[in-house]
Formats: sequence, structure tokens, C-alpha cells
Amino acid sequence: MAILEVKNLTHTYGGSSPFINDAVKNVSFCVEKGEIIGIIGHTGSGKSTLVQHLNGLLKPTEGEILFENTDIWENPKEIRKIRSKIGLVFQYPEYQLFEETVFADIAFGPKNMGLKDEELTACVNEICEIVGVKKEYLQKSPFDLSGGEKRRVAIAGVMAMKPQVIVFDEPTAGLDPKGREDVMQIIKDYRAATNATVIIISHSMEDMALLADKILVLSKGEVYKFGKVEEVFASAEELRKIGLNVPIVTRVFYELKKQGLDVKTDIFTVDSAAQYLKTLKEGKENA
Amino acid sequence: MDNIIELKNVTFEYTEEDAVYAAVKDLNLNIKRGDFTVVLGHNGSGKSTLAKLLNGLNKPTHGDVLVDGINTRDEENEINIKRKVGMVFQNPDNQLVASIVEEDVAFGPENLGLAPDVIRSRVDDALKAVGMYEFKDSTPHRLSGGQKQRIAIAGIIAMEPECLVLDEPTAMLDPKGRAEIIETVLRLNKEKGITVVLITHYMEEAEKADRVIVMNDGVIIEDNTPKEVFKNVESLKKVGLDVPQTTELLYELSKNGFEINTNIISIEEAAKEIKNALHLEEN
Repeated sequence: MAILEVKNLTHTYGGSSPFINDAVKNVSFCVEKGEIIGIIGHTGSGKSTLVQHLNGLLKPTEGEILFENTDIWENPKEIRKIRSKIGLVFQYPEYQLFEETVFADIAFGPKNMGLKDEELTACVNEICEIVGVKKEYLQKSPFDLSGGEKRRVAIAGVMAMKPQVIVFDEPTAGLDPKGREDVMQIIKDYRAATNATVIIISHSMEDMALLADKILVLSKGEVYKFGKVEEVFASAEELRKIGLNVPIVTRVFYELKKQGLDVKTDIFTVDSAAQYLKTLKEGKENA
Repeated sequence: MDNIIELKNVTFEYTEEDAVYAAVKDLNLNIKRGDFTVVLGHNGSGKSTLAKLLNGLNKPTHGDVLVDGINTRDEENEINIKRKVGMVFQNPDNQLVASIVEEDVAFGPENLGLAPDVIRSRVDDALKAVGMYEFKDSTPHRLSGGQKQRIAIAGIIAMEPECLVLDEPTAMLDPKGRAEIIETVLRLNKEKGITVVLITHYMEEAEKADRVIVMNDGVIIEDNTPKEVFKNVESLKKVGLDVPQTTELLYELSKNGFEINTNIISIEEAAKEIKNALHLEEN
């Protein structure tokens, strides 16, 4: 069942001014419950503008967003309610930490949803368990944590509302490799615990290959391609034309082909590459 | 003089809630003129602190930093030092000041009080050097992230620095933007002889560097050529880092019974190595 449907979405900045600019043009796609959707696109392709529509932060100039078959703007007064169902984690979310303690920061969302006392504490504890925020951090100031831990807390704050759909705008930007891996693990753990649907914007083709079921490719505000990872990464040439690429490990196979070897090129992770080459080698040995 | 920058027993301390922390500890480091150095390290390892020490934005708590022989503590030479070592930061939007590209690039040289015709030629040269000359009349906010970052670099180049320090210049860019920046920086290094210190979290960007420095908890734990540094897959992972996917693949293969060199970074060489390993088995 489609949990989220974007229908002919257009967003125009600048109204009638001379700087009028279509940031998103006639975008349509469908997200099934439980999927992980990656969104890729060159800078300025409209990715952030698009996802800010998904929880009603921006209102479509044209078109609509259906959540569980209902237009999220059907009753504009109720739009805030949608934000606990569709959570949005911004770029560099740690800049938005503001409370005195880690506990208060994570509790902010669920508190606004009406949770209090034991219920609130239980909710915060549960999410901390899932995303790995250490208990001893709860009474600390979020500003005393390291960069990676701050981001973990900021993400936990959105997850604490238990959104059915959670949207991340470049969640690993600016992190070191270990930090990137941690954030990806948090996302996987949250999904495993809640069956949530996940939408992630990323500039890392390598991360997308590891995480996503499907990828939406945006170019100049329009949908360039939408499909399974292997469909989207099938043409390196096409992706390069619009400022993107295939994962580095895939490029190794293109190069092998160029050097005259008869190999597959639809390999997108290091693990599957090693596996495939191993089979290839064993095949030759047994031949 | 051979070294453009010398750090001598440099410690940088900062205070937080009455406790004193050292972001950089007793560091000794020479940056050779004309070298391309990449600095790796996990978040909080002291990389950015180090970057800011290199042009006097940070002054050492103990020890000395010499830029072309001038101590960064020497306040009379402050502008001189910043002219010699230019810095580029992560977010291009925070570094652009004017509404027209060429005006933005001219900002630095204008502040140096240069003659108009000198400014004109420096701006043109800088824009050509980063491959953005044809955009000189454009509005920066209409450009892509990679293009904006190249304008930021042009703004620094126009000051004719001897050394360029870039602190995660590609963190916010798409794959094409990232490639543009690395190509630009390499070209400036090779063709103009500008010394480059590049801080990054993308391991593959270290491929073409002369030297890779790995920082951990304020000290240097590795200092070698890229190939030598990326040999140590496990020890890099221990300090929150990684190796490029190419190296990782070869490493995985070597663990799986392939007779293969793992000290390889570029895609072409990796493919060659794999091809050889497969062929060897045939004979």
C-alpha cells in the first residue's frame, strides 16, 4: 500500500518577482509502506525543497501530497499533526539542539504531542535504547557532546515522535566515516524497531547503494528517474551527465570491462563485488 | 627556504566549563613548499584546529607556527601571513559576499589596496584558474554548489597566496562538485605551484596527494604517502576512518585468497590489479 504519494508537485519561489524560479516541477512518485527511498540529485536540483513539502513545511504551488490517501493540506489547521506522523530531520540537525539537557531535547517533540510524566520518560528511554544514546548523557547539556553524538541526539528527538515516515536531508554530511556508519546504523535500527518508511537525501552514491530500496533521481527540479537501486545505477553515463555518478566500486567494474574483461557492471557494494570476483575466480579454477 | 609552514611543539588549548582541553598536542610538522598534503581524522581529532593554526586564525597556546619564517604571533605581520596562507571552508554560501561573481573575487585584492588594472588581471586569472571565467558576470546564488565553492577558491587565489588550506571544501557538494574541486585544487598545485593542505572526510580525495597525515586526539598518528597510509585498513578503522572503496575491495579480495596488492587507490590501477590476479589463476 502506498503510504505517501506525491502528485504533480510544483513549487515556485519568488512569486511574480523577476527572480521567479521553479524549484520543483511536476514531480510525482509513490512511496510504499516500509520502503527506504534515496533521493539523489545535483546541488540545486530541488531535493530539499521537495522534502520540505512532505511534512507540510512548504505548501505546494501546484499538486498535492497524499499521506495514507488523504491530502495533507485537506484541513490546513491540522497541518501540525502531520509533522509527528512524517518527521523531518534537517541538514546539520545538531545546530537545532536548544534544551538544557539531552533528555529535555529529545522529549520536546513527544511533549508537544501531549505525552507527560512516566509516558514521556518511557518514550525517551525507548528511543535512546533504539538509537544508542547513552543513559549517562540524558542529564548532560547537549552542547557538551561531540559532533557525532550531538547529531545522534538531534535525530533521536525526531524519532521520539515515532513518525511513520521519517525524512532525512543529508544525514551524514560533514561526518567522518565512523560517524557516517553510525548514522546509517541508527536509521536501520529505527526502521527495524518501528517498520517506519524512510526517505533519505544523500550525495553519497556508496551510502545509497548500501541502504536504499529505491532511488529517486532529481535533475533541475524534475524527476529524472525513479526505480530500484540496480535500475538507477544501471547507466553511469546518464548519471554523470546530471552531476552524479555510480558508486566507486561500480566504476572499478566499468574499468575492468574497458580493459577487456567480460564482467558484470551491476555491482554496487564492496561486499557483492568481492563475492562476485571470488565466484569468477573459482569458476576459472574449476574450468 | 624549503618549508612554507613550520609547527614547532605546538599545543592549542581551549577552556570549556573551567576545564582545559588540548585540541592539538605538542605537534611538530613541516609543510614543504609545493606539496599537496591531505589531513584525515575523525570529527574532533583536531584537524580544523590545525588548519586555523596554519594562518594565525588560531594562535598556539604553547610553541610556534612559522609561515615563510614569520611567527604567527607577530601581530605586525598578521595581514602578511593571511596573504601567504589562504583558507577555504566547508560551506560555499558562507564565503561569498557579493552579488556578482567577479565582484566577489575582487573583494580580497581590493582590500589589499591594489591598483584597478592589477585587480582586473588578478580576478580574470583567478577565475580562469578555477575554470569559472565564463561565469564572471553571473550571480553566485544561481550557481551550483561546486561552482560556488570554486568562486570561493578564486577569491582566495586572487590574493596570490603561496599556500591554500581547505577545510572540508567538498562536504556539502554532489559528486560532480566534489570532483570539480579536487581537479581544481590539483591543477593549482601542479600548474601554479601553490602548496595545498586539504582536510577531508572523503578518503578517495587523498588519492593524488603527495602526503597524507592522519590525526587522532590532537596528535599525528600517520604521516606517509597515500598508498602507505591506506595499507593499514584495520588501524584506520580503529580511529574512525576508512579506506577508499577501491582499496577496501582489494583488501577484501586478499582476505579471500586472491594474490593481490592492496596498496592501490585509483580505479584504473585497481582494475588492472584485479585483472592480473584473475589471469594468474588461469595459468
